[in-house]
Amino acid sequence: MIRVNLRLIRPAVAIVVIAFCLFLIQASARIGFSRLLSRYALIANSIPAADEAVRLSPSDPDAHRTRATVLNRLQMTGEASKSLETATSLRYRDDYLWLELANAREEIGDKAGALVALDQAVHWAPYYAHTHWQRGNLLLRLGRYDEAFAELRTAAAANRSYVPNLIDLAWGVSRNDLNTTRQLIQFNDERERLALLRLLASRKAFRDAFEVWSGSDSVRSPMLFNGGFEDQIVLNDATFGGWILPPEQTKNKLAIDVSERSAGTRSLQISLAGDWNPGTSLLSQTVIVEPNKTYRVFFSVMTKDLVTGGPPVFTVNDAANNQLLGKSESLPTGTSQWSKLQFEFTTLATSEAAVIRLQRNNCDSSPCPIFGTLWLDDISIEVK
Amino acid sequence: MSLKRRNGPRAIAAFLLLSVLQISLQAVPSLAPQLAGRLKTSNNQPVTVNGLSANTGASVLSGATIETGADQSATVDLGPLGSIEISPNSKVILTFEQGTAKATVITGCATVKADKGTTGEIATEQGTSRKTDPAAGGTLDMCFPERAGATPSSQPAPPSPNENAGGLFGLGRAATIAILSAAGAAALTPLWFQDNPSGSNP
Repeated sequence: MIRVNLRLIRPAVAIVVIAFCLFLIQASARIGFSRLLSRYALIANSIPAADEAVRLSPSDPDAHRTRATVLNRLQMTGEASKSLETATSLRYRDDYLWLELANAREEIGDKAGALVALDQAVHWAPYYAHTHWQRGNLLLRLGRYDEAFAELRTAAAANRSYVPNLIDLAWGVSRNDLNTTRQLIQFNDERERLALLRLLASRKAFRDAFEVWSGSDSVRSPMLFNGGFEDQIVLNDATFGGWILPPEQTKNKLAIDVSERSAGTRSLQISLAGDWNPGTSLLSQTVIVEPNKTYRVFFSVMTKDLVTGGPPVFTVNDAANNQLLGKSESLPTGTSQWSKLQFEFTTLATSEAAVIRLQRNNCDSSPCPIFGTLWLDDISIEVK
Repeated sequence: MSLKRRNGPRAIAAFLLLSVLQISLQAVPSLAPQLAGRLKTSNNQPVTVNGLSANTGASVLSGATIETGADQSATVDLGPLGSIEISPNSKVILTFEQGTAKATVITGCATVKADKGTTGEIATEQGTSRKTDPAAGGTLDMCFPERAGATPSSQPAPPSPNENAGGLFGLGRAATIAILSAAGAAALTPLWFQDNPSGSNP
Protein backbone atom coordinates (compact mmCIF):
# COMPACT_ATOMS: atom_id res chain seq x y z
CA MET A 1 0.00 0.00 0.00
CA ILE A 2 2.82 2.33 0.96
CA ARG A 3 4.72 1.43 -2.23
CA VAL A 4 1.68 2.32 -4.35
CA ASN A 5 1.32 5.69 -2.61
CA LEU A 6 5.00 6.54 -3.16
CA ARG A 7 4.65 5.71 -6.82
CA LEU A 8 1.69 8.07 -7.11
CA ILE A 9 3.02 10.87 -4.92
CA ARG A 10 6.26 11.46 -6.86
CA PRO A 11 4.63 12.19 -10.23
CA ALA A 12 1.91 14.17 -8.46
CA VAL A 13 4.49 16.39 -6.78
CA ALA A 14 6.32 16.78 -10.07
CA ILE A 15 3.11 17.80 -11.81
CA VAL A 16 2.30 20.32 -9.08
CA VAL A 17 5.82 21.80 -9.27
CA ILE A 18 5.68 22.01 -13.06
CA ALA A 19 2.25 23.62 -12.88
CA PHE A 20 3.50 26.10 -10.32
CA CYS A 21 6.51 26.93 -12.51
CA LEU A 22 4.24 27.35 -15.53
CA PHE A 23 2.03 29.64 -13.48
CA LEU A 24 5.04 31.73 -12.46
CA ILE A 25 6.28 31.90 -16.05
CA GLN A 26 2.85 32.95 -17.24
CA ALA A 27 2.51 35.55 -14.48
CA SER A 28 5.97 36.95 -15.20
CA ALA A 29 5.22 37.10 -18.88
CA ARG A 30 1.93 38.90 -18.24
CA ILE A 31 3.49 41.45 -15.93
CA GLY A 32 6.50 41.96 -18.17
CA PHE A 33 4.37 42.36 -21.25
CA SER A 34 2.09 44.73 -19.35
CA ARG A 35 5.08 46.86 -18.40
CA LEU A 36 6.24 46.86 -22.00
CA LEU A 37 2.84 48.00 -23.17
CA SER A 38 2.82 50.69 -20.49
CA ARG A 39 6.11 52.04 -21.78
CA TYR A 40 4.83 52.01 -25.31
CA ALA A 41 1.62 53.74 -24.19
CA LEU A 42 3.62 56.53 -22.62
CA ILE A 43 5.77 57.01 -25.70
CA ALA A 44 2.92 56.87 -28.20
CA ASN A 45 0.14 58.32 -25.98
CA SER A 46 -1.79 55.19 -26.84
CA ILE A 47 -4.94 54.54 -24.84
CA PRO A 48 -5.41 51.02 -26.32
CA ALA A 49 -1.93 50.04 -25.18
CA ALA A 50 -2.53 51.50 -21.71
CA ASP A 51 -5.89 49.68 -21.52
CA GLU A 52 -4.27 46.42 -22.56
CA ALA A 53 -1.52 46.88 -19.98
CA VAL A 54 -4.19 47.27 -17.31
CA ARG A 55 -6.11 44.23 -18.61
CA LEU A 56 -2.99 42.07 -18.51
CA SER A 57 -1.98 43.17 -15.05
CA PRO A 58 -5.01 44.61 -13.27
CA SER A 59 -3.37 44.48 -9.86
CA ASP A 60 -0.32 46.50 -10.93
CA PRO A 61 -0.74 50.12 -9.77
CA ASP A 62 1.88 51.27 -12.26
CA ALA A 63 -0.30 50.11 -15.14
CA HIS A 64 -3.17 52.24 -13.84
CA ARG A 65 -0.84 55.15 -13.20
CA THR A 66 0.46 54.95 -16.77
CA ARG A 67 -3.09 54.89 -18.07
CA ALA A 68 -3.84 57.99 -15.98
CA THR A 69 -0.76 59.77 -17.33
CA VAL A 70 -1.78 59.06 -20.92
CA LEU A 71 -5.36 60.18 -20.24
CA ASN A 72 -4.10 63.34 -18.56
CA ARG A 73 -1.97 64.17 -21.57
CA LEU A 74 -5.02 63.76 -23.76
CA GLN A 75 -6.92 66.06 -21.38
CA MET A 76 -9.28 63.28 -20.27
CA THR A 77 -8.77 64.19 -16.63
CA GLY A 78 -11.98 62.61 -15.33
CA GLU A 79 -10.96 59.18 -16.61
CA ALA A 80 -7.42 59.77 -15.38
CA SER A 81 -8.78 60.47 -11.91
CA LYS A 82 -10.60 57.10 -11.91
CA SER A 83 -7.41 55.28 -12.92
CA LEU A 84 -5.50 57.01 -10.16
CA GLU A 85 -8.19 56.05 -7.65
CA THR A 86 -7.62 52.42 -8.62
CA ALA A 87 -3.85 52.88 -8.42
CA THR A 88 -4.06 54.40 -4.94
CA SER A 89 -6.33 51.60 -3.77
CA LEU A 90 -3.70 49.09 -4.94
CA ARG A 91 -0.74 50.97 -3.48
CA TYR A 92 -2.23 53.16 -0.82
CA ARG A 93 1.06 54.04 0.88
CA ASP A 94 2.48 55.82 -2.19
CA ASP A 95 2.29 59.56 -1.42
CA TYR A 96 3.14 60.51 -5.02
CA LEU A 97 0.11 58.59 -6.28
CA TRP A 98 -2.08 60.49 -3.82
CA LEU A 99 -0.58 63.78 -5.03
CA GLU A 100 -1.33 62.86 -8.63
CA LEU A 101 -4.87 61.93 -7.67
CA ALA A 102 -5.26 65.25 -5.84
CA ASN A 103 -4.07 67.16 -8.91
CA ALA A 104 -6.44 65.26 -11.20
CA ARG A 105 -9.38 65.78 -8.84
CA GLU A 106 -8.73 69.50 -8.51
CA GLU A 107 -8.51 69.83 -12.26
CA ILE A 108 -11.99 68.42 -12.64
CA GLY A 109 -13.24 70.78 -9.94
CA ASP A 110 -13.41 68.29 -7.08
CA LYS A 111 -11.51 70.33 -4.49
CA ALA A 112 -12.95 68.43 -1.54
CA GLY A 113 -11.82 65.15 -3.11
CA ALA A 114 -8.43 66.66 -3.80
CA LEU A 115 -8.08 67.63 -0.15
CA VAL A 116 -8.96 64.08 0.93
CA ALA A 117 -6.23 62.76 -1.39
CA LEU A 118 -3.73 65.26 0.00
CA ASP A 119 -4.66 64.26 3.54
CA GLN A 120 -3.64 60.74 2.57
CA ALA A 121 -0.41 61.96 0.97
CA VAL A 122 0.50 63.80 4.18
CA HIS A 123 -0.52 60.77 6.24
CA TRP A 124 1.86 58.46 4.36
CA ALA A 125 4.74 60.92 4.10
CA PRO A 126 4.37 63.12 7.16
CA TYR A 127 8.02 64.16 7.40
CA TYR A 128 8.42 65.22 3.79
CA ALA A 129 7.98 68.75 2.53
CA HIS A 130 6.29 68.12 -0.82
CA THR A 131 3.08 66.68 0.63
CA HIS A 132 2.65 69.53 3.12
CA TRP A 133 3.49 72.07 0.41
CA GLN A 134 0.82 70.75 -1.96
CA ARG A 135 -1.78 70.54 0.80
CA GLY A 136 -0.94 74.07 1.95
CA ASN A 137 -1.37 75.39 -1.56
CA LEU A 138 -4.78 73.78 -1.95
CA LEU A 139 -5.90 75.15 1.42
CA LEU A 140 -4.72 78.59 0.30
CA ARG A 141 -6.81 78.35 -2.86
CA LEU A 142 -9.73 77.33 -0.67
CA GLY A 143 -9.23 80.54 1.32
CA ARG A 144 -8.37 78.69 4.55
CA TYR A 145 -5.34 80.86 5.18
CA ASP A 146 -4.54 79.91 8.78
CA GLU A 147 -4.44 76.20 7.97
CA ALA A 148 -2.71 76.88 4.66
CA PHE A 149 0.17 78.80 6.18
CA ALA A 150 0.54 76.32 9.02
CA GLU A 151 0.99 73.62 6.38
CA LEU A 152 3.28 75.75 4.20
CA ARG A 153 5.44 76.55 7.22
CA THR A 154 5.72 72.83 8.00
CA ALA A 155 6.89 72.25 4.43
CA ALA A 156 9.43 75.08 4.63
CA ALA A 157 10.73 73.73 7.92
CA ALA A 158 11.22 70.30 6.35
CA ASN A 159 12.82 71.68 3.18
CA ARG A 160 14.46 75.10 3.35
CA SER A 161 14.21 75.60 -0.40
CA TYR A 162 10.50 76.34 0.11
CA VAL A 163 11.23 79.36 2.35
CA PRO A 164 11.38 81.94 -0.50
CA ASN A 165 8.15 80.54 -1.98
CA LEU A 166 6.48 80.70 1.44
CA ILE A 167 7.50 84.34 1.84
CA ASP A 168 6.37 85.13 -1.69
CA LEU A 169 2.91 83.67 -1.03
CA ALA A 170 2.62 85.45 2.33
CA TRP A 171 3.61 88.76 0.72
CA GLY A 172 0.96 88.26 -1.98
CA VAL A 173 -1.82 87.08 0.33
CA SER A 174 -1.14 89.93 2.75
CA ARG A 175 -1.36 92.37 -0.17
CA ASN A 176 2.18 93.58 0.42
CA ASP A 177 1.74 94.25 4.13
CA LEU A 178 4.96 93.59 6.03
CA ASN A 179 3.44 92.98 9.46
CA THR A 180 0.90 90.49 8.12
CA THR A 181 3.61 88.80 6.07
CA ARG A 182 5.73 88.40 9.19
CA GLN A 183 2.81 86.91 11.10
CA LEU A 184 2.08 84.47 8.30
CA ILE A 185 5.62 83.22 7.85
CA GLN A 186 6.56 83.38 11.55
CA PHE A 187 10.26 83.27 10.76
CA ASN A 188 12.56 82.49 13.57
CA ASP A 189 16.09 82.45 12.22
CA GLU A 190 18.52 84.67 10.37
CA ARG A 191 18.29 82.82 7.04
CA GLU A 192 14.56 83.34 6.86
CA ARG A 193 15.01 87.01 7.71
CA LEU A 194 17.52 87.31 4.87
CA ALA A 195 15.12 85.57 2.50
CA LEU A 196 12.44 88.11 3.42
CA LEU A 197 14.95 90.90 2.91
CA ARG A 198 15.82 89.62 -0.55
CA LEU A 199 12.16 89.37 -1.53
CA LEU A 200 11.41 92.90 -0.33
CA ALA A 201 14.43 94.31 -2.15
CA SER A 202 13.44 92.47 -5.35
CA ARG A 203 9.89 93.87 -5.06
CA LYS A 204 11.34 97.35 -4.56
CA ALA A 205 9.68 97.60 -1.14
CA PHE A 206 12.69 99.51 0.12
CA ARG A 207 11.19 100.97 3.27
CA ASP A 208 9.97 97.56 4.38
CA ALA A 209 13.36 96.09 3.49
CA PHE A 210 14.99 98.75 5.61
CA GLU A 211 12.69 97.90 8.49
CA VAL A 212 13.55 94.21 8.29
CA TRP A 213 17.24 94.90 7.87
CA SER A 214 17.59 97.41 10.67
CA GLY A 215 15.00 95.92 12.99
CA SER A 216 13.50 99.38 13.38
CA ASP A 217 10.35 100.77 11.80
CA SER A 218 11.49 104.38 12.13
CA VAL A 219 13.23 105.17 8.88
CA ARG A 220 15.61 108.08 9.28
CA SER A 221 16.21 109.30 5.76
CA PRO A 222 18.78 109.51 4.30
CA MET A 223 20.86 106.89 6.03
CA LEU A 224 24.09 105.44 4.67
CA PHE A 225 25.55 102.55 6.60
CA ASN A 226 29.17 102.00 7.38
CA GLY A 227 30.26 105.02 5.34
CA GLY A 228 33.55 105.11 7.25
CA PHE A 229 34.18 101.37 6.75
CA GLU A 230 34.54 100.96 10.48
CA ASP A 231 32.45 97.76 10.36
CA GLN A 232 32.75 94.63 8.23
CA ILE A 233 31.48 94.94 4.66
CA VAL A 234 28.72 92.63 3.48
CA LEU A 235 30.10 91.25 0.26
CA ASN A 236 28.55 89.18 -2.51
CA ASP A 237 25.14 89.24 -0.88
CA ALA A 238 22.50 90.89 -2.99
CA THR A 239 20.38 91.96 -0.06
CA PHE A 240 19.37 95.32 1.26
CA GLY A 241 21.55 97.33 3.62
CA GLY A 242 25.25 98.03 3.78
CA TRP A 243 27.86 97.86 1.05
CA ILE A 244 27.50 95.22 -1.63
CA LEU A 245 30.23 93.88 -3.88
CA PRO A 246 28.92 92.13 -7.00
CA PRO A 247 30.21 88.56 -7.40
CA GLU A 248 31.93 89.39 -10.70
CA GLN A 249 34.11 91.96 -8.96
CA THR A 250 35.87 89.60 -6.57
CA LYS A 251 39.07 89.70 -8.66
CA ASN A 252 39.77 93.15 -7.26
CA LYS A 253 41.10 93.02 -3.73
CA LEU A 254 39.16 94.96 -1.14
CA ALA A 255 40.55 95.33 2.36
CA ILE A 256 39.84 97.31 5.49
CA ASP A 257 42.97 99.41 6.03
CA VAL A 258 43.84 100.47 9.58
CA SER A 259 47.00 102.37 8.61
CA GLU A 260 45.44 104.81 6.15
CA ARG A 261 42.29 106.73 7.02
CA SER A 262 40.73 110.10 6.56
CA ALA A 263 38.51 109.85 9.63
CA GLY A 264 37.81 107.28 12.31
CA THR A 265 40.16 104.32 12.58
CA ARG A 266 39.81 102.57 9.21
CA SER A 267 39.31 103.07 5.49
CA LEU A 268 38.56 100.85 2.49
CA GLN A 269 41.53 99.92 0.33
CA ILE A 270 40.81 98.75 -3.22
CA SER A 271 43.69 97.16 -5.14
CA LEU A 272 42.94 97.22 -8.85
CA ALA A 273 44.62 94.69 -11.11
CA GLY A 274 43.03 95.65 -14.40
CA ASP A 275 39.74 93.71 -14.16
CA TRP A 276 37.02 96.28 -13.77
CA ASN A 277 34.87 96.91 -16.80
CA PRO A 278 33.80 100.53 -17.33
CA GLY A 279 30.13 101.06 -16.55
CA THR A 280 29.98 98.22 -14.02
CA SER A 281 29.66 98.79 -10.31
CA LEU A 282 32.46 97.78 -7.95
CA LEU A 283 30.71 98.71 -4.75
CA SER A 284 27.16 99.86 -4.08
CA GLN A 285 24.71 100.68 -1.34
CA THR A 286 20.96 101.31 -1.41
CA VAL A 287 19.77 104.21 0.74
CA ILE A 288 16.27 105.30 1.68
CA VAL A 289 15.44 108.77 0.34
CA GLU A 290 12.48 111.13 0.18
CA PRO A 291 10.92 112.07 -3.15
CA ASN A 292 11.70 115.45 -4.77
CA LYS A 293 14.61 116.30 -2.54
CA THR A 294 18.19 117.30 -3.21
CA TYR A 295 20.94 115.50 -1.33
CA ARG A 296 24.64 116.04 -1.02
CA VAL A 297 27.09 113.12 -0.87
CA PHE A 298 30.50 113.61 0.77
CA PHE A 299 33.44 111.23 0.52
CA SER A 300 37.19 111.13 1.06
CA VAL A 301 39.50 109.55 -1.48
CA MET A 302 43.23 108.83 -1.76
CA THR A 303 45.09 107.12 -4.61
CA LYS A 304 48.47 105.53 -5.25
CA ASP A 305 49.79 104.86 -8.77
CA LEU A 306 46.25 104.75 -10.14
CA VAL A 307 46.62 104.45 -13.92
CA THR A 308 43.61 104.34 -16.24
CA GLY A 309 41.91 106.05 -19.14
CA GLY A 310 38.54 105.68 -17.38
CA PRO A 311 38.86 106.92 -13.81
CA PRO A 312 36.43 105.82 -11.07
CA VAL A 313 33.37 107.90 -10.29
CA PHE A 314 30.45 107.82 -7.83
CA THR A 315 26.96 107.69 -9.34
CA VAL A 316 23.50 107.75 -7.78
CA ASN A 317 20.54 106.07 -9.50
CA ASP A 318 16.91 105.70 -8.57
CA ALA A 319 16.53 102.22 -7.05
CA ALA A 320 13.23 101.50 -8.77
CA ASN A 321 13.91 102.51 -12.37
CA ASN A 322 17.72 102.96 -12.39
CA GLN A 323 17.45 106.52 -13.70
CA LEU A 324 20.67 108.48 -13.13
CA LEU A 325 20.09 111.11 -10.43
CA GLY A 326 23.61 112.45 -9.92
CA LYS A 327 27.29 111.84 -10.52
CA SER A 328 30.55 112.92 -8.89
CA GLU A 329 33.51 114.31 -10.76
CA SER A 330 36.13 111.74 -11.73
CA LEU A 331 38.21 110.49 -8.82
CA PRO A 332 41.86 111.56 -8.96
CA THR A 333 44.39 109.35 -10.75
CA GLY A 334 48.13 108.94 -10.17
CA THR A 335 49.16 109.41 -6.54
CA SER A 336 47.19 111.79 -4.34
CA GLN A 337 46.71 112.52 -0.65
CA TRP A 338 43.32 112.35 1.09
CA SER A 339 40.91 114.82 -0.47
CA LYS A 340 37.30 115.43 0.49
CA LEU A 341 34.91 115.59 -2.50
CA GLN A 342 31.18 116.08 -2.79
CA PHE A 343 28.39 116.01 -5.33
CA GLU A 344 24.62 116.48 -5.38
CA PHE A 345 21.66 114.54 -6.66
CA THR A 346 17.93 115.22 -6.74
CA THR A 347 15.37 112.45 -6.30
CA LEU A 348 12.31 111.87 -8.48
CA ALA A 349 8.70 112.42 -7.45
CA THR A 350 8.39 108.65 -7.13
CA SER A 351 11.72 107.90 -5.46
CA GLU A 352 11.78 105.75 -2.32
CA ALA A 353 15.39 104.66 -2.45
CA ALA A 354 18.56 105.40 -4.38
CA VAL A 355 21.63 103.32 -5.16
CA ILE A 356 25.07 104.86 -4.65
CA ARG A 357 27.63 103.10 -6.83
CA LEU A 358 31.34 103.26 -7.35
CA GLN A 359 31.91 102.66 -11.03
CA ARG A 360 34.15 103.82 -13.87
CA ASN A 361 33.91 106.31 -16.66
CA ASN A 362 34.28 104.91 -20.14
CA CYS A 363 37.65 105.11 -21.87
CA ASP A 364 38.15 106.66 -25.28
CA SER A 365 39.51 103.35 -26.55
CA SER A 366 39.18 99.68 -25.75
CA PRO A 367 40.50 97.72 -23.83
CA CYS A 368 40.27 99.97 -20.81
CA PRO A 369 42.23 98.51 -17.87
CA ILE A 370 42.77 100.10 -14.48
CA PHE A 371 45.75 99.52 -12.18
CA GLY A 372 46.78 100.93 -8.82
CA THR A 373 45.34 101.44 -5.37
CA LEU A 374 42.41 103.51 -4.21
CA TRP A 375 41.30 104.31 -0.64
CA LEU A 376 37.80 105.47 0.30
CA ASP A 377 36.64 106.79 3.65
CA ASP A 378 34.06 108.88 5.44
CA ILE A 379 31.23 108.60 2.90
CA SER A 380 28.11 110.39 4.09
CA ILE A 381 24.89 111.80 2.74
CA GLU A 382 22.74 114.71 3.90
CA VAL A 383 19.74 116.69 2.73
CA LYS A 384 20.71 119.94 1.05
CA MET B 1 -8.38 86.97 55.12
CA SER B 2 -11.25 88.83 53.51
CA LEU B 3 -8.76 91.04 51.68
CA LYS B 4 -7.12 87.92 50.23
CA ARG B 5 -10.50 86.63 49.11
CA ARG B 6 -11.26 89.90 47.36
CA ASN B 7 -7.88 90.05 45.61
CA GLY B 8 -7.94 86.44 44.44
CA PRO B 9 -10.65 86.83 41.76
CA ARG B 10 -9.11 90.11 40.64
CA ALA B 11 -5.74 88.48 40.12
CA ILE B 12 -7.34 85.63 38.20
CA ALA B 13 -9.30 88.09 36.05
CA ALA B 14 -6.16 90.09 35.32
CA PHE B 15 -4.30 86.90 34.43
CA LEU B 16 -7.10 85.81 32.08
CA LEU B 17 -7.18 89.23 30.44
CA LEU B 18 -3.43 89.11 29.88
CA SER B 19 -3.70 85.62 28.40
CA VAL B 20 -6.46 86.65 26.00
CA LEU B 21 -4.49 89.73 24.97
CA GLN B 22 -1.40 87.61 24.39
CA ILE B 23 -3.30 85.20 22.15
CA SER B 24 -5.02 87.97 20.21
CA LEU B 25 -1.69 89.68 19.62
CA GLN B 26 -0.18 86.50 18.20
CA ALA B 27 -3.14 85.51 16.05
CA VAL B 28 -2.83 85.99 12.32
CA PRO B 29 -5.05 88.87 11.23
CA SER B 30 -8.11 87.91 9.25
CA LEU B 31 -7.21 88.22 5.60
CA ALA B 32 -9.58 89.34 2.91
CA PRO B 33 -10.21 86.39 0.62
CA GLN B 34 -8.57 86.68 -2.75
CA LEU B 35 -8.62 84.56 -5.84
CA ALA B 36 -5.61 82.30 -6.36
CA GLY B 37 -4.85 80.46 -9.58
CA ARG B 38 -3.45 76.97 -9.82
CA LEU B 39 -0.31 76.32 -11.83
CA LYS B 40 0.00 73.36 -14.15
CA THR B 41 3.25 72.85 -16.01
CA SER B 42 3.97 70.73 -19.04
CA ASN B 43 5.39 67.30 -18.15
CA ASN B 44 5.54 68.51 -14.55
CA GLN B 45 8.67 70.55 -15.31
CA PRO B 46 9.20 73.53 -13.02
CA VAL B 47 8.74 77.07 -14.32
CA THR B 48 9.57 80.36 -12.63
CA VAL B 49 6.94 82.29 -10.67
CA ASN B 50 8.14 85.65 -9.34
CA GLY B 51 11.70 84.47 -9.90
CA LEU B 52 11.18 81.29 -7.86
CA SER B 53 10.92 77.74 -9.08
CA ALA B 54 7.34 76.41 -9.03
CA ASN B 55 5.68 73.24 -10.16
CA THR B 56 2.22 71.83 -10.81
CA GLY B 57 -0.08 72.51 -7.87
CA ALA B 58 1.53 75.81 -6.88
CA SER B 59 -0.74 78.76 -6.16
CA VAL B 60 -0.45 81.84 -8.34
CA LEU B 61 -1.61 85.18 -6.99
CA SER B 62 -2.58 88.26 -8.96
CA GLY B 63 0.47 90.26 -10.05
CA ALA B 64 2.67 87.19 -10.47
CA THR B 65 5.28 87.06 -13.21
CA ILE B 66 5.65 83.67 -14.86
CA GLU B 67 8.65 82.72 -16.97
CA THR B 68 9.01 79.57 -19.03
CA GLY B 69 12.13 78.04 -20.57
CA ALA B 70 12.64 76.54 -23.99
CA ASP B 71 10.98 73.21 -23.22
CA GLN B 72 8.47 74.44 -20.68
CA SER B 73 4.94 75.70 -20.91
CA ALA B 74 2.41 76.42 -18.20
CA THR B 75 -1.29 76.92 -17.65
CA VAL B 76 -2.76 78.88 -14.78
CA ASP B 77 -6.27 77.73 -13.94
CA LEU B 78 -8.22 80.69 -12.63
CA GLY B 79 -11.33 78.71 -11.71
CA PRO B 80 -14.49 80.63 -12.58
CA LEU B 81 -12.55 83.22 -14.59
CA GLY B 82 -10.99 80.83 -17.09
CA SER B 83 -7.34 80.10 -17.67
CA ILE B 84 -4.14 81.60 -19.03
CA GLU B 85 -1.63 79.58 -21.05
CA ILE B 86 2.01 80.56 -21.30
CA SER B 87 4.07 79.21 -24.20
CA PRO B 88 7.73 78.13 -24.02
CA ASN B 89 10.34 80.90 -23.78
CA SER B 90 7.85 83.45 -22.48
CA LYS B 91 7.55 85.95 -19.68
CA VAL B 92 4.05 87.04 -18.73
CA ILE B 93 2.52 89.07 -15.88
CA LEU B 94 -0.87 87.84 -14.70
CA THR B 95 -3.40 90.11 -13.02
CA PHE B 96 -6.84 88.94 -12.07
CA GLU B 97 -9.72 89.62 -9.75
CA GLN B 98 -13.40 88.83 -9.71
CA GLY B 99 -14.65 89.38 -13.28
CA THR B 100 -11.33 90.15 -14.99
CA ALA B 101 -8.28 88.19 -16.07
CA LYS B 102 -5.37 89.85 -17.82
CA ALA B 103 -2.07 88.64 -19.25
CA THR B 104 0.64 91.18 -20.04
CA VAL B 105 3.15 89.59 -22.40
CA ILE B 106 6.69 90.83 -21.77
CA THR B 107 8.24 88.35 -24.18
CA GLY B 108 6.95 85.22 -25.89
CA CYS B 109 3.36 84.16 -26.28
CA ALA B 110 0.28 83.72 -24.10
CA THR B 111 -3.37 82.77 -24.49
CA VAL B 112 -6.21 84.03 -22.29
CA LYS B 113 -9.30 81.84 -22.15
CA ALA B 114 -12.04 83.84 -20.45
CA ASP B 115 -15.22 82.16 -19.29
CA LYS B 116 -18.63 83.80 -19.57
CA GLY B 117 -18.96 86.68 -17.11
CA THR B 118 -15.24 87.45 -17.22
CA THR B 119 -13.49 90.14 -19.20
CA GLY B 120 -10.36 88.52 -20.58
CA GLU B 121 -7.59 90.87 -21.63
CA ILE B 122 -4.23 90.36 -23.25
CA ALA B 123 -1.72 93.15 -23.66
CA THR B 124 1.91 94.04 -24.11
CA GLU B 125 3.93 96.55 -22.11
CA GLN B 126 3.98 98.70 -25.23
CA GLY B 127 0.26 99.29 -24.92
CA THR B 128 -1.27 96.88 -27.43
CA SER B 129 -4.38 95.43 -25.83
CA ARG B 130 -7.38 93.29 -26.71
CA LYS B 131 -10.39 92.29 -24.61
CA THR B 132 -13.10 89.66 -24.71
CA ASP B 133 -16.79 90.33 -24.36
CA PRO B 134 -17.83 89.19 -20.87
CA ALA B 135 -21.28 88.28 -22.17
CA ALA B 136 -19.83 85.67 -24.49
CA GLY B 137 -16.41 84.83 -23.09
CA GLY B 138 -13.69 83.90 -25.55
CA THR B 139 -10.05 83.23 -26.28
CA LEU B 140 -7.32 85.76 -27.04
CA ASP B 141 -3.71 85.16 -27.88
CA MET B 142 -0.71 87.36 -28.42
CA CYS B 143 3.02 87.14 -29.00
CA PHE B 144 5.63 89.78 -28.32
CA PRO B 145 7.70 90.43 -30.27
CA GLU B 146 5.70 88.87 -33.04
CA ARG B 147 7.65 85.88 -34.23
CA ALA B 148 7.18 83.91 -37.38
CA GLY B 149 5.87 80.45 -36.54
CA ALA B 150 5.64 81.26 -32.85
CA THR B 151 1.98 81.98 -32.46
CA PRO B 152 0.31 80.75 -29.30
CA SER B 153 -1.43 78.12 -31.38
CA SER B 154 2.00 76.62 -31.99
CA GLN B 155 2.10 75.73 -28.32
CA PRO B 156 2.16 71.94 -28.04
CA ALA B 157 -1.40 70.76 -28.51
CA PRO B 158 -2.60 67.80 -26.51
CA PRO B 159 -1.26 64.74 -28.28
CA SER B 160 -3.80 62.72 -30.15
CA PRO B 161 -4.39 59.12 -29.27
CA ASN B 162 -2.45 56.67 -31.39
CA GLU B 163 -4.67 55.90 -34.33
CA ASN B 164 -2.20 53.61 -36.08
CA ALA B 165 -4.60 50.73 -36.66
CA GLY B 166 -3.61 47.12 -37.18
CA GLY B 167 -1.18 44.85 -35.37
CA LEU B 168 -1.61 43.53 -31.88
CA PHE B 169 -4.36 45.34 -29.89
CA GLY B 170 -4.47 47.98 -32.62
CA LEU B 171 -0.95 49.11 -31.81
CA GLY B 172 0.35 49.01 -35.37
CA ARG B 173 2.54 46.46 -37.07
CA ALA B 174 5.92 47.98 -36.24
CA ALA B 175 5.03 48.38 -32.58
CA THR B 176 3.68 44.85 -32.44
CA ILE B 177 6.90 43.39 -33.87
CA ALA B 178 8.98 45.49 -31.48
CA ILE B 179 6.85 44.53 -28.53
CA LEU B 180 6.81 40.83 -29.31
CA SER B 181 10.57 40.69 -29.86
CA ALA B 182 11.15 42.48 -26.56
CA ALA B 183 8.46 40.63 -24.65
CA GLY B 184 10.64 37.66 -23.78
CA ALA B 185 13.35 39.83 -22.30
CA ALA B 186 10.86 41.99 -20.48
CA ALA B 187 9.14 38.98 -18.95
CA LEU B 188 12.37 38.00 -17.29
CA THR B 189 13.00 41.46 -15.94
CA PRO B 190 13.08 41.23 -12.17
CA LEU B 191 10.26 43.28 -10.79
CA TRP B 192 10.52 45.20 -7.69
CA PHE B 193 7.57 46.84 -6.03
CA GLN B 194 7.95 49.43 -3.35
CA ASP B 195 4.88 50.54 -1.55
CA ASN B 196 5.97 53.91 -0.23
CA PRO B 197 8.62 55.76 -2.20
CA SER B 198 9.06 58.26 0.62
CA GLY B 199 10.66 56.22 3.35
CA SER B 200 10.35 56.93 7.01
CA ASN B 201 13.27 59.40 6.94
CA PRO B 202 13.28 62.34 4.59
